[in-house]
Amino acid sequence: MIHGAMRHIPEDELHAYLDQALSRSQCVEIESHLANCPGCRRERDSIAALRDRTTALLATLAPPRRIVPSYELLSERAARRSARIAGRWRAGAWAASLLLAVGLGWGARSMDSGEQPAPAVAADLRSVTPGPATNAASDSTAAPVATDDAPGIELATRETAARETAERGDPARGNATRALEAPTTPVVSAPAARFQIPDQFPATDQLREPILAEPAGAVLSSGGRLPSESFSGSAGALFRTVSWDRARIERGESVPRIEGLPVMEVQLAGSRGGDSRPLMVVAQQLESGQVIRTIEGPATDVNQLLASQRGDTSSPWPTMNDGDGIAGGDGTMAVRRGDRILAITAPLPSDSLRAMIRRLNASER
Amino acid sequence: MDELEKLYQTTYGAVVRFLYRKVWDADRAEDLAQEVFMRLFQHRPEKPRAWVFAVAANLARDEARAAIRRRKHLTLMTNDPGQAPSRIAAADEVVEHDEQMAAVQDALGTLTRRDQEVLLLWDAGLSYPEIAQQTGLAIGAVGTTLARARRRLVDAYDRQHSDDSRGHAAHS
Repeated sequence: MIHGAMRHIPEDELHAYLDQALSRSQCVEIESHLANCPGCRRERDSIAALRDRTTALLATLAPPRRIVPSYELLSERAARRSARIAGRWRAGAWAASLLLAVGLGWGARSMDSGEQPAPAVAADLRSVTPGPATNAASDSTAAPVATDDAPGIELATRETAARETAERGDPARGNATRALEAPTTPVVSAPAARFQIPDQFPATDQLREPILAEPAGAVLSSGGRLPSESFSGSAGALFRTVSWDRARIERGESVPRIEGLPVMEVQLAGSRGGDSRPLMVVAQQLESGQVIRTIEGPATDVNQLLASQRGDTSSPWPTMNDGDGIAGGDGTMAVRRGDRILAITAPLPSDSLRAMIRRLNASER
Repeated sequence: MDELEKLYQTTYGAVVRFLYRKVWDADRAEDLAQEVFMRLFQHRPEKPRAWVFAVAANLARDEARAAIRRRKHLTLMTNDPGQAPSRIAAADEVVEHDEQMAAVQDALGTLTRRDQEVLLLWDAGLSYPEIAQQTGLAIGAVGTTLARARRRLVDAYDRQHSDDSRGHAAHS
């Protein structure tokens, strides 16, 4: 600012003055100086001319005038977008609260009935639970067994092999399996396995055989929270799992999953039909602790897998008779995509699953 | 009339111009401006006018980064049917206008990024405090920056013009 009549007005202050960016008192001070200083008046005029020229030059840099879109149109579009976002949040919150309620109910029911978790549950519990269970887990999962003898399946574990042997009636291995079946950590809840994913995807001719199944959500009953996408780092602790990178390589595309949920496990089964993209089951953790699985693969494989979980291999599933190609019910929902099927299984009502699969289907395309 | 609607009606053109001077593509500038206002209607910020230009500047920056990634250089007024003048003008007038526009664009390109930003924000109608808030400058520094930016723009334009004149004289 100006200190005394002899000091001239700095250039930037004259700009600010002409830009009307100064306070009233500053303006008064400048104007009183200008009244008595011809040099500053000339400077002011020259800056005013510079300012005008700048404005004129910049005015040439204008796009052609067009009709301004109507305010109503834009605000309506914005409102629709907000509604979509809010809908997602509402659906998420609703699903989470529902899951909590359902999980508690099932948990209580399974405790009442003394329901024994399937072997895979016990093993999974160990793999995610710290403490003494970890030793047992490391003992049994330190060296995942490659599945050269099980064509089409990426990885099997010692537990899986042991369990299969037990199924065949090998007494020694059977004991080992029973030992594994005894939970080493308290099982808080093992939600009803309405949609069970087998340890290994069965070959077509094996579908009539009983399928070893893992109750959905059981892994999470330990309360263990798995680090997202850290499959390969734990030296096989998460057995029957292919690494994230491997999953992506195998798929040659994005791995189908629900965005924003931690991935617990990726199971991969090679397609028997020579399809380059194998059947994939991605297990993810919902906030409530329940498991949601996204299944994508050749239609016949997925159909058989889902049908096998219903314990009903006679009727093809899903029937896909819906207008939008989406079919299913409480607990599972699927959509046909050409010769492939994308499905979700989770202990959720059909409305939620339908919304989820619709979104997933759109994002996967 | 709603406050946001008023702001939309009075500022939309300035936002399009502001964006146009950053992305040099009239259609893209329109698209981005509409995106800015849709976000405005969704978020309804406290200081909407400054907010609008801040978002516009961010979108323009993202756009520039994307353009660099694509190695796609958007040039001024090239083959854009939307750029046709609103009235039927004589061909030499159009050429002259385009040349002047290109010259101003070049002159603007000689300014530092900061000087450009402050100058364009001022031209878009933002106040000194709003410019200061968006650019992180002290309010006192806005005048200094504007003074320098204006001088450099005009000097660069005049220098270019005199070079062109000499070039034309040499050719004739």
